[in-house]
Order: sequence, then structure tokens, then C-alpha cells
Amino acid sequence: MSSRFHLFDRTAVMGSGYILAMVNRMQMLYYVLILPKHLVHPYMMAGILGVGFLSQINLSILSKYLTSNYFVLGYHGFVQLFSEKMVRFFAFLGIFFILMKVIVTTLGYVEIVHQFMFPSMKTNWLIFVLIASGFYIASQGMEKTIRLSIIGFLATIWVILVYIPYFMPPIAKTHHLYPLVPGEGLLHSWYGLLMVWSALSGPEYLVCLGPWIGPKEKILRGMSIGNALSVFEYLVLFAACILYYGSPYLEKISFPVVNMIRYLQSPVFERVDIILISLNMIYFLYFIALFLLCLYGAIRIAAGRININTNRKGFLVCVIAVFIGMLVINGWYWREGQELNVWMTLQLWLGAITYLLVPSVLAIAMKWKRGQSR
Amino acid sequence: MFFKKKKTAAIEQKNEEKNMVPSEAVKLDLLKQATAKIDDAEIVQRQTNNGATFSLVYIQTLIDKERLNEAIIQPLLQSEDQAFIQCISTCSVLRIHSMEEAKECMLFGAVLIHDQGNNEWWAAKLENPLSRAIENSETETIVYGPKDSFTERIEQNVFMIRRRLPVIELKVEKFQVGSNTKTQVQMLYMDGIANPDIVEIARKNISKVNFDMILESSNLSAFMDDHTHSLFPQFMQTDRPDSCAYSLGLGKIVILLNDTPFALIAPITFFHLFQSPEDYVHRWVIASFLRTLRYLSFFIAITLIPLYVALNTFHYQMIPLQILYVLMESRTKLPFTPFWEALIMLVIIEIIKEASLRMPTKTSQTIGIIGGIVIGQAAVEAGFASKVLIVLVGISAIASFLVPNYLVTKATTVLQFLFLILASFLGILGIALGLILLLAHLNGLSSLKQPFFAPVSPLYWRDWNDLFVRAPLPWAKLRPEYLKTVKKWRVSKEEGNE
Amino acid sequence: MKTILYTLCFLLVFSGCSSPFVEDNTVEEIAPVTFWSLNQGKGGKLEITTLVPPVTNEKKQVLTLNVDLLKQGKKEFNLKFYRELKLGQLRMLIINEKLAKKEIISLIDTILSDPDVSPRLFLVLVRGSFEDFLENEGKVQKNLDYYLYRMFRHYERRNQGEMSIVNLHEFMEKVYSPYSDPVLPIFKADKDNFTYEGTALFNENKYVGSINKREDQMFQLIANDHYLKNLPIPHLKVSLGQVRSKVHMQVDDHFKTLNIHVLIKGRIDEYRGHRNILSRSEMNKMTDDIQSYLQRETVGLVKETQRLKIEPLEVGAHTYSPLTHPVTRKVWLDHYEKMKVHVKYSVKIEPLSL
Repeated sequence: MSSRFHLFDRTAVMGSGYILAMVNRMQMLYYVLILPKHLVHPYMMAGILGVGFLSQINLSILSKYLTSNYFVLGYHGFVQLFSEKMVRFFAFLGIFFILMKVIVTTLGYVEIVHQFMFPSMKTNWLIFVLIASGFYIASQGMEKTIRLSIIGFLATIWVILVYIPYFMPPIAKTHHLYPLVPGEGLLHSWYGLLMVWSALSGPEYLVCLGPWIGPKEKILRGMSIGNALSVFEYLVLFAACILYYGSPYLEKISFPVVNMIRYLQSPVFERVDIILISLNMIYFLYFIALFLLCLYGAIRIAAGRININTNRKGFLVCVIAVFIGMLVINGWYWREGQELNVWMTLQLWLGAITYLLVPSVLAIAMKWKRGQSR
Repeated sequence: MFFKKKKTAAIEQKNEEKNMVPSEAVKLDLLKQATAKIDDAEIVQRQTNNGATFSLVYIQTLIDKERLNEAIIQPLLQSEDQAFIQCISTCSVLRIHSMEEAKECMLFGAVLIHDQGNNEWWAAKLENPLSRAIENSETETIVYGPKDSFTERIEQNVFMIRRRLPVIELKVEKFQVGSNTKTQVQMLYMDGIANPDIVEIARKNISKVNFDMILESSNLSAFMDDHTHSLFPQFMQTDRPDSCAYSLGLGKIVILLNDTPFALIAPITFFHLFQSPEDYVHRWVIASFLRTLRYLSFFIAITLIPLYVALNTFHYQMIPLQILYVLMESRTKLPFTPFWEALIMLVIIEIIKEASLRMPTKTSQTIGIIGGIVIGQAAVEAGFASKVLIVLVGISAIASFLVPNYLVTKATTVLQFLFLILASFLGILGIALGLILLLAHLNGLSSLKQPFFAPVSPLYWRDWNDLFVRAPLPWAKLRPEYLKTVKKWRVSKEEGNE
Repeated sequence: MKTILYTLCFLLVFSGCSSPFVEDNTVEEIAPVTFWSLNQGKGGKLEITTLVPPVTNEKKQVLTLNVDLLKQGKKEFNLKFYRELKLGQLRMLIINEKLAKKEIISLIDTILSDPDVSPRLFLVLVRGSFEDFLENEGKVQKNLDYYLYRMFRHYERRNQGEMSIVNLHEFMEKVYSPYSDPVLPIFKADKDNFTYEGTALFNENKYVGSINKREDQMFQLIANDHYLKNLPIPHLKVSLGQVRSKVHMQVDDHFKTLNIHVLIKGRIDEYRGHRNILSRSEMNKMTDDIQSYLQRETVGLVKETQRLKIEPLEVGAHTYSPLTHPVTRKVWLDHYEKMKVHVKYSVKIEPLSL
């Protein structure tokens, strides 16, 4: 057993399969579970498609950077593109964004478990279990963590098949799907669309994984398939919700995507939801691990310690800090019951903003740099 | 064979040491001193026909006494020549110079010959050929297919592999490991197929071994593992020459040890542990079914009892009403909570399993019957365990044996206990957490620095034709991608390009 | 590796000090109730009844409590009974008709918001005293609750048209759906019997009336199951078997008339009349008779729903189309009330063979 503790080693480059898996699972992370409740009307299916298309455009902008030489260099690429001071500033900003994302997604999952599986559980305990497991996964290093994405993908992608019964007659009521054209009150739906956009956010964090991702030609393909797959899953889930609940009822359900699974009974286990919620933990854990690593990287960059070797103690301290942050938010500010509390709304906006800005800022910076060098 | 030039770093290191201390010349007195209190060492002095004196030093238990007479003593006695060593023609003779060399040769079963006239020392190899015959493999029995298995003699083992792979590309590299056991290790690989990087890693790993006793291939693998603390073996052990030959052909490396019938195969993946040579005997559909069954039973073996605990402790609402009736019926009068009940029964079944393994075959059958039927029945009747649990314990114990690799079978037991603890804390969520961490752990493992969970992560779609499904052999035109072999096609080029 | 060990130790210590759970769900220590029977109690209170211990073969007793709140009932039960009552296996909610007339939605909401309860819970209305039935029959039948559950599940699973079986989700979905109103099965209970009586009709969440067994058959055919295992028509002395129906409803653009066209396929199960149904012409006459009977009955059923201004038949759903906007429930019901109804049946009877 080696006594070295290298989190950011690189021995191989991850192909488009990983990008597909990461993009898709990142987009299926949390908001999709509450999305149908805020979309409500059947015609919002067109909205999902539209936002999905915008997201595709956004990804192709992002791929401009991902296929550039800056990206492969990772940190040094950023330094070339911006100045070191700017990179440290961005990293400092990034700490905040990543921290928010980790905390909100984890707490979101904890809330689901608390609501559907263990109503009498002390949530802090579950947070600890999640963080500890995330730490274990992350301590294997970035490369192995990224490699886990494919397992997470394969282990959960079939869950979408569980929703097939909701499209079959005794459960599905076709008339719930009508009308497909929007009526009045269209203005209110901007919030739903923002939510779709925010739910689709996440792939922008690929910019942190520079050295591990490649080859260039396949990046956009992987991202596009992943994005298309997520949009397809959104549509399936949303349509299933509509068919099962009908719009007026759907509005009143918290976590409709999870809630409706309770209706299914398998011959052996009558409550399929418990199994599926547990199973979905794999990609929540995966992202906790990934974001913990990103966070650690960002902290090192912001502190200007990029050239000092990673060590277990530093990483552990970082993880414990996140854990304490989560406990604080969970204890003081997290209101159960209301789904979109302050933090969720904040993360909704933050996700939407990062997804919008990161690709375009990078693209502009590259263009500017090119103009400068000429 | 031992007198040839040695390549390994360990030996080089020793040579360096030797160079530092000027080597002593071989002397009869010194040898006498060295063999003092070794009662099976013999020193004999004779004269040839023309009067030259020679002495023989050997350890009688190590050498073939009949051949000593035939091949050395008789020719020497009748020799007329001055350089009487020339007349030994039926075994290899080598000149030795230093005391170290002399001792080593002697201990490997050579007869030291001292030509007193010329004061020259020679070593003639006359190893005792005692070994057992080639027998059926007992650890991996198959119905159809070759029946021979490795023995304790490495030459014989190499012979069995070479006979199956009569090509010049099959390379054999020799090493010596263990400062006391001086075990001979041979690394076999196919030049031009196996990835040279992997071969280099293996070479380095073997050279790095620094230990006194290497008696068994597991001992060696313990020093070559990338992850010492993992429950899963990172080398496959087999005593079947055909499996070895097949693995070599795919581009893997086979490591043979003297004095053990088990070869090491690497790099392997998690999924190899579930493959049996018989998979390639059956029709492919059946083979695929059986293979899937093995994965399933591995899963059952680690989760069935934990699931019982989880359902009984936390998730009563998941159980269909009919089954709940049965459960409540059988559990109402039990003194233990589900966790303790399961833990006790599992420990008991492990005791029975272990006992029947260590006993002679006939006794073990009795133990099986007493353990399985009597204790199980009695436990239920006495009200220590529920009927349902006894059934489940039986199922999971049998399921754990479906995995062909014995080391994995034992690993499932430990995993089962870990899952049991998780299940008793967090119910189904705990089991899921365990599975996820297990996957993460497997994902982090490597065998000879090659990813252990290979065709899944990293993803090599092409290799999936021999993963859960064993596709028909004619379809497997390419070698596994994760091995990064030099030659990719298994079929001859013209056909392969069609 | 060390860290993992530390983490594990920490985890164990942590869990040893404070268990993450407060509740204990160990199966042998709980009593997972399978049904609750709700009735009007004295002084405006709720009367809750159940059989304990549930899900065992032990001798059972009927427990009844008068409480203000549903969940209070659960608590009181626990104080009374040696095992803790749990709702995770609640399969049936049996509500007395009288109580249903007063309030039903608040009770169902309470049940629905409990994460332990499956949305597949069966809802049943009872006329008469279910408690008497329990008291009396519970002594004879060991697993009465279980057999009741099996009965409901049996008829639910294949929708075979004997009864309208409704679960919690179906009920709620229809309550919220603007163009359909929920229904519930209604049973009659007395000391010795528990019999299916027909279907209870709701206006959104208010219990407004019921249809009897004969009308219920029509209801199953055109709205609920579209299948009847057996359709006896006593005055024609004929009984049809395996009746399958296909319903086309059409409402004109001005919401003035409703055309219902029902295709029926079935075979004669039993005939005790005087016609020679082996002859074609006689058979045709017979078919005509059946058709007109069905028409009459169906029109009666539709008229009844029009009178009550409710939508258990989901006629409004047929006016939906992908591109037009539906009118509000109130407007639609106003139209529906005055709508002219034309019902046409096409009956295809498989020839009788002996």
C-alpha cells in the first residue's frame, strides 16, 4: 500500500462514454424530481424541448472551450487564458458555487429519504453517512471517481423503464394530456422554464476536469447524447406525471416523480419507491465525491497552493468543513415541507446563472485572447 | 538449470553483496564445517582407475541415489583420463568457484565433485525426481474438457502449458523469490500479444518481492497486489493448464511457482472471478445463463440475509401481506431481534462450513447433515430462529458456492456480515449504500495496475461479449480490449478483415 | 485505508451514542393494521374500529374508540393495545355512509399525507353497521381482514366488472380532475352479511348518491371496467357472460346532445325462456330485446348523473382535444345537465353452442 495520497493523478483519458454519463446524470440530479410540479401544464412539454434545445446550443459553446488546448492543460490552461490572479478569483467564486451545489443536492436527497423512507430519522445522521461515503469515494482520486460515473449511469439509467406502466391504460388517463396548446397564464410558466434550465445545468463543471477528459473530437458528441437523453427522460417523467395525476392534482404533490412510484407494486416488494430511492443514492454520492474533489481543487487554487502536494489531512479538513456547513444549514435554515425554500431557490438561480455564463465567458475570453495574440 | 545466469534484480543484489565481500574459494574443510549437524549430508572419497582422487559432497535426501551411482560414480571410477570430469555425460556438469555457489548448488540437489588433483570443483545436477502423478483438478472440475492439472513440479507444469502452446512466442522468464525458500518463479507470456508494459509491471513486481518464505502462489500474489486490504483477489489462481494457456493466448500473464500446483493469472477483472472453464464447454446460451446465475447468486449471497433483517427491522410496509403473515407467525415468539438472530445463525453456518472443510471427507458429510438438518431443525423448534431465516440462510450459503473462485466465496461471507451491519442500521438504504461502496471499491481496484472492473468501468463495449453473456466463440474475433494487446485479432488477418 | 477504519469506528461510536431512528418497526413488535373502519361517534366524534392483532393467526378482538382526530385514534389504540399499531400495511379504509355524507375528504387527506400508507389503499363505503359484522363474523372467521383484502384485490387486479373497486389514488385523482367525479363501492353490512350494493356517487368530494346493483352493471359496462363477467337480465330470462364493451361518446360542438354508442360482445350463459335461440330469426329478436333493455338502462343511468350534476361517466373527458381549451367544470356541468342523450347499442352475441 502506497503511503502517497494523490487525488489528482492522471493515467488515462476518459472518453465520450464518461462525458455522456456525467452530463446525463448531472442533469438528472435533483431538480428533475420536483420539476413536474412546477411545469404542471401538458403544453410545457414543448417548453422542455425548447429549453433542451437551448441547452444543446449552450453545450456546443462550452465544447469550444473543451476542445481547445487550454482545456487539456487544466489549471495552467486557465492561467494562460486569464491571469493567475483572475484564476484565483474565479476559483474563489467557484468555491461558493460548488459549495452551494453540494449542500443543496445533498440536503435535497436527505429530505427525500426523510420524507419517503424514514420519517422518524435524524437527518444529521444521514448527512454524515452520505458525506463519509462521498469522502471514501473521493479519496480514491479524481480518476477513479470519474470512472465511477459509468457505473452510476448503468446502475440507474434503467429506472426510467419503471415509468412505463404509467403510460398503460389502467393508470394513464389520456385526457389528462390535453390540451397541448397554452392558454392564458402563459406568463407564469417562465419560472417552470427557468427550473428546466437550472435542472439541465451541471455540465459546466466539466471545465474543472480538464486533464481527464478527451479526446477532443468526441467531447461534443458525448455531451449532446447526454443532453438529449436527459431531455428525453424529462419528457418521459413529465408525461408520466401528467398521465398519472392530471394537471390540477399534480400541482399539489410534493416530489411527484418519487411519489408516483409508491403506486407500483412488484410481486416481491410492494413498495418499489424505497428500493429506487436507495438506488438513486449512487449518483448523489458520486456527485458529492466529484464536487468535494472540485471544491478541494478550487480551495487549493484560491489559496495559491496548487503546486503543493495534496494531502489527506487537507482534504479531510475540507470535507469536514462541508459537513459542518451542511449541518448548520440543515439545522437552522432548512424548512421541511416547503419544497423550494430559500436555499433551493438560491441554488436554482445560481445553477441557471453558471450554466448560462460559464460557457459564454470562456468562449469570449478565448476569442479575446486570440484577437490579442494576432 | 539453476546454474545459468540469473537475471533477477534480487540475485543481482546478492551478487553485489558477494562482490563486496570477496568470495571464498571452495574448500572441502569449509564444506565439512557447513554440513556439520546435517546428518543427511554425505561426503564420499573415491579413486578413479588411474588413481586420481575425487570426493563427492551431496545431501542424500535431495538427490537421486540410483542415478548418482549410474551417472557419476561408475563413470568416474572407470575413467582413465586425467580430466575425468569429461566422462560424466548423462547429466549437466558445471564448474563452480565460490563457497556460496557450492552451498546453493548442493541445496538444490546437485552433487559436488572435487577433483583433488586439479583442485577443481564441479556440480552435477541430480535432483530427486520425486513428485506425484498428474491428476484431475479437484478445485475446478469440469465435465467435458481436459482433465489434467498442475503438479508441484514447475517443469512439468511448464511442459503442460508448452504442449498446448507450441509457438516460439511463448516466453518464459525465471526469477527466484524468498530468501529462505528460494522458490523458483517462472513468468510466462506471449511475446507479440501481451502488452509489454504489463509484462514490465509484472517483472518489476516479482523482483521487488522481499520476504523469506514464499511457499504458495497466494504468498507471492500478496506481495504483488496493488491493494493489500481488499477482500478481492487481484490474481486468479488455477491449477488447470488449459485455463493458463487460454489466458496466455488472450494476452495475460501466467506466473508459475515451483512446489505449488497453482498458477497465478493476471491482469484479471472482477468478472473473471465469475468465469469457469466450463463456460466455453457449454452451448453459448446455456453458458450465458449459467454465468448470469452466478452473478445473481453472488448478489443473493451478500444481500439476502441483510434484506431479511432490513425488512423485518424497518420496512414492514414493503412486504406483501401474505408474506407478512408468514413472517409474523414465525417471528412472534423469538427471543432475538432480527439482526442478532441472523448474526447468530450466520456464525453457526460459517462454523459448520469451516468444520466440514477441515475434516476428512467422510466426517464432513456427517457434519453437513448434523449441522444442516439437525441444528437448523432444532433451532426452529427450540424457538431460537425463525423458519424463514433458516430457509434464507440455506439459500444464501448455497448461493455463495456458485462463484467459481473460492477466494470470492469466502469474501462473500465477510461482505455478508458487513451488509448485515449496514442493514441493521439503515435498512434497505444501508444495503444500497453497501452495494454502492462495494462498486466504488471495485472500481478503485486494479490488477497489475490495470483496472479491475474493466469492461464496465472503463467502458469497453466490445468486451461485453464475454461478460454477462458468453457470446459464441466465432464472434470473439478480437482479444479483450482492456488488456491492450499488441495483436488485436484472434483470427488470421485475411479472415479477420473480411 | 486508515481513514476508512477511523471513519468506521467513528460511525459505530456515533451510532451507538445516538440511534438515528426513534421508531421501531421490528415486525414482531408491531401490529400493522390492515383496515380501519370509520363511523360517526357520539357527540360529533369519530368512531374508529379495527381488528387486533392484525396479520396473525391469534385470536382477535374488535377494538373501538371514540376520538376527535384520526391520528389521535392511532395513539389511543397504542395506549390500549400491547403492540404498537402501524399504518404501513393499511389496505382498506371502510367508511360508514353516514359519516361519508358529513365529511370524507379530510379523512382521506390525513391518510394520504402519511408516507407509510400506500396509495393503493382501497376505499369502501358501508351501509349499516360494519362493526356488528366484525363483532359477529370475527369470532367465526380467523383472518377476516385478510380475506376481505384478498377479495378487493382479486376484483381490482383484472377489473373484471363485478364491483367498482377504487383505491386512494384513483379517488383523489378524480376529485381533482375537473371533468370526472369519483365513485366508491358501497357495501351493506349487518350482523351476518357483507354484500356489495352498488356504486356510491360523488360530486367532487361530496357523497351525493348511489346507484343500485342493476344500474351498477351498466356503469361497469360503459364507464368503469368495460367488462362484465356476468350480465343477468331477469325479465328476458337470459344471462350474458364475458360481456366486453367498447364505448364511443360524442358531444356536439354546442354541448347540446350526447351520443353514446356502445358495442357489446358476449355470449349467452344461460337461457330459460321459451324462444328457440338456436334459430337465427329468434336469436335476432332476442338480440333486439337485449339492446333495447340495455339502452333503457343506460339512458336511466345517464339521466341520473345529469340530475345529480356529476360526472362519474367522464363524458366531459371525451370533449378534450389536443388543440382546444376545455371549458371550466361549472360551465360544462351546466351544459351537461341539459344535454339530450342518445344511446345506441350494438350487441353481438356469440351463437349458443351446446
